[in-house]
Amino acid sequence: MRTGFRYGIMLVVGLVLGTGAAALQLKQSFAAMGIENGPWRTGEKVGTADASVATRATVALRGLLALPEREAIYFNASTDSQGRKLTGRCAYRVTGGAIDARWWSLTLYDSAGYLIPNPASVYSVGSAAIPPEEKTNWTVDIARKRTGTHWIAMPDDQPFELTLRAYHPSRELLAKRGSVPLPRIERGECGA
Amino acid sequence: MSRWIGPVVLAMIAAVAAWYGTLAAAPSVIMDRAWNRLADQAGYNKMTHTPPVVAERQTIVRPSPDLAYSICAFDLTQAPLEVMIAPVPAHYWSLTVFDSVTDVAFVESDRDTGGKPIRLVLATADQAVPKGARKIVMPDAKGVALIRVLLNNRAEIGAVDAYRKQSFCRPLKG
Repeated sequence: MRTGFRYGIMLVVGLVLGTGAAALQLKQSFAAMGIENGPWRTGEKVGTADASVATRATVALRGLLALPEREAIYFNASTDSQGRKLTGRCAYRVTGGAIDARWWSLTLYDSAGYLIPNPASVYSVGSAAIPPEEKTNWTVDIARKRTGTHWIAMPDDQPFELTLRAYHPSRELLAKRGSVPLPRIERGECGA
Repeated sequence: MSRWIGPVVLAMIAAVAAWYGTLAAAPSVIMDRAWNRLADQAGYNKMTHTPPVVAERQTIVRPSPDLAYSICAFDLTQAPLEVMIAPVPAHYWSLTVFDSVTDVAFVESDRDTGGKPIRLVLATADQAVPKGARKIVMPDAKGVALIRVLLNNRAEIGAVDAYRKQSFCRPLKG
């Protein structure tokens, strides 16, 4: 085999593998953003040129026009607290305490990052809906039908993701984003 | 076999370069597509005050259903852009200006302004702006200005609209 041909074929193989790996990395999860906290994934320096190339690409693909962290920090989950993929075949309960920010919201998206149509048009729960006596111990159910006071609709069997937004996060939340207590995601009953 | 050592090393270098290049190029490619989509739907150099997001009407990935968005895709090629954001009392609101590669060129919220309006002129480095104007230098001509207003509940959109619809972006008149 000629030398030039060997180099040519391997150049193409390398380019295809590298491009494919990047595409797969971006599509599979938020893990590319680098910081893990239980099932939640987040990054640093979002919205700036100082963010890692993986964070910048992930945010562009999965959270375009996201705010920089002085305004908001985003935590994304595609698994429950035991590491199992979130799926509409199961019901879930999300439990959490006080989140050190001006306000927060929990929103459900499909695996491409879009809201899922549902008859009730219920896509999220925000801290404004949590009464003062529940601020340090709140529960949000994710299921086909409302099962508790705070509920997000998951109308079908597809995989899904959760995004926790914390607006005007405290310095401590920003500094300890990888270790502060964040909501737990517990799987309940699953269908066939 | 030794004849393959060089090609294999080349493949590894090419793979790393392609991986990095793909990730590095993603923000500008994705932003360019989004800008064109926004401009096609609502035009550019004008502020569009969208209703609260529902699943049946989503323009940008991962929208928040708890926010009212107003969006201005802009192109500074012909002139700088004047931006005015009217405050919405007793609500979180913010203005973020993104450049063509998704970096934030400007962000302020109600916490920063003390409830006062934001008045800016977005311009490239070589464009002159009126004396006294708050010039935000953009690295290139295209970008997006985005207003977010927190809705405590979706029913209050009417009350919020009365304020946020005073906000505008428009080419600066010479």
